[in-house]
Amino acid sequence: MTTAAAAGGLQTPLWRAIVVFRFASLAWALALIAGNVRDYVRPLAAIPVVVVMIGWTVAASTLFARPERRRWPLLITDLAVTAAVLLSADLVIGREALGSGTPGLAVAWLAAPVLAWAVAGGRRLGVVAALLLGAADLVIRPQLNQASLTGTSLMLLAAVGVGHVTRLAAIAEARLQRAVELEAATRERERLARDIHDSVLQVLALVRRRGASLDGEARELARLAGEQEAALRRLIATGAPPPSTSGVVDLGALVTAYASDVVSVAAPATAVPLPSAVASQIAAAVGAALDNAARHAGPAAGIFVLVEDELDAVTVTVRDDGAGIEPGRLAAAEVEGRLGVAQAIRGRITDLGGTVRIHSAPGQGTEIEMVVPKVSA
Amino acid sequence: MTERIRLMVVDDHPMWRTGVARDLVEAGYDVVATTGEGRQAVRIAGATRPDVVVLDLQLPDISGVEVVHGLRAALPDVRVLMLSASGEQQSVLDAVKAGATGYLLKSAAPDEFLAAVARTAAGEAVFTPGLAGLVLGEYRRLAAAPEPGPPALTERETEVLRLVAKGLSYKQIAERLGVSHRTVQNHVQNTLGKLQLHNRVELTRYAIEQGLD
Repeated sequence: MTTAAAAGGLQTPLWRAIVVFRFASLAWALALIAGNVRDYVRPLAAIPVVVVMIGWTVAASTLFARPERRRWPLLITDLAVTAAVLLSADLVIGREALGSGTPGLAVAWLAAPVLAWAVAGGRRLGVVAALLLGAADLVIRPQLNQASLTGTSLMLLAAVGVGHVTRLAAIAEARLQRAVELEAATRERERLARDIHDSVLQVLALVRRRGASLDGEARELARLAGEQEAALRRLIATGAPPPSTSGVVDLGALVTAYASDVVSVAAPATAVPLPSAVASQIAAAVGAALDNAARHAGPAAGIFVLVEDELDAVTVTVRDDGAGIEPGRLAAAEVEGRLGVAQAIRGRITDLGGTVRIHSAPGQGTEIEMVVPKVSA
Repeated sequence: MTERIRLMVVDDHPMWRTGVARDLVEAGYDVVATTGEGRQAVRIAGATRPDVVVLDLQLPDISGVEVVHGLRAALPDVRVLMLSASGEQQSVLDAVKAGATGYLLKSAAPDEFLAAVARTAAGEAVFTPGLAGLVLGEYRRLAAAPEPGPPALTERETEVLRLVAKGLSYKQIAERLGVSHRTVQNHVQNTLGKLQLHNRVELTRYAIEQGLD
């Protein structure tokens, strides 16, 4: 009954619907009893059965209203009471009358526990309850015919249907819960970002700013403050990109996540939507290019990433203004397989049907341009 | 320069505002006003007549775009240098389209900042690589949009803008393309000018359509 615990809110309407069903089917059963009581072998014995039916309908409706009560004891009692009412038909109505077509005592009222089991425990429990009651129904039937099997199969159908809906409700509930949590987290993050922006960041920026014109230790402190400022800015600026539900992600957001105090990312203001598999491959290639730049360009170099969304292609360029590579060395290194950049970048980009162009010269830094065609989905 | 350049500093953080203003005064500028609110900035701009406004895009009362609009309405010739933290791309782009001519990250070094102020005052556009990427993206977006007559960049302008976005200095770009520094400067300026013109045309068309002319 874990599903019941997981899905409080969306299950409530289902439980209410069962209450409505209990009363409606009770009314139907009572009407049939009143109409057929003359054919019963022991008409007076119908009175306690009717009392039990009315009593249990009221009791079950009240008891099932409390979520913490919807457990095995109540479910089994529900099934047992219903089965007892069903079986009492043997005594009250008699085999002969039942055989000649007189309806049983419980009729549709029989299905209430099946629905309750299905909502509480899903399809499987619902089917179990339907089979148990169906078997009990068959016991009192003098012969097996189409009519007696119809009742059971309808109960099975109801069990499967309701169980399925319950599972969907549980899933929907979980998703809703997650959405609410995400929203709260985002709002909290935005609030924190605002606060940090208004206070800590401004002070750190000021320390860095004033300290830059001082000497010695003060200057070093200012530099440290600047680093922390940049780190903090990054922290509040780059929220994790929202999980994609449509399989399309914004390449701009993925690449912007690489921005730091040495890596400057330029991208369009609007999203660059790409299939998530393509976008993550490109982002991984950019990551490899950045690693490469950080290794070879020297510590003082700046790194620049440009994301361009063209009509038929996406171009991402990673450029560093470091030492650069001599014309022959790049090709040589690539041939020797020493350059991680070759495999990690070329491999990924050509897999996507794209091209990679590496341009470098001593003193001019290195520029890696990746062009990936857009495939119309 | 016979007359000192008049500056206004708009930033909602008092410490930052004072620090920036002091740096600017030390550098020889005339800081005519400082304020922490956008509405007040627009209100006092007419009276204090700054040549350049150093504007933090994140203000507590109105958006940076609204401040730029207000400032340009009060003082059509005013030049606006925006400062912002990272991660505010759309607002930076909107402010540029509204008429701001310069953009700098708040984390820029003091000498970089002073150079940017000087260039803004001289009427030059101040671009970060990030802004160049935004402008480039905006031209491409407009070209792909179904509206008629979008502004378009010449091949040379696109080339220059891409190089700026890849972090090359104007000097490096001039060397690479074999043109003068001044030419690079003009190309960059043109890219902004066309975008701002298009924005004004769009606003006017919208106003006429809505019967607000």
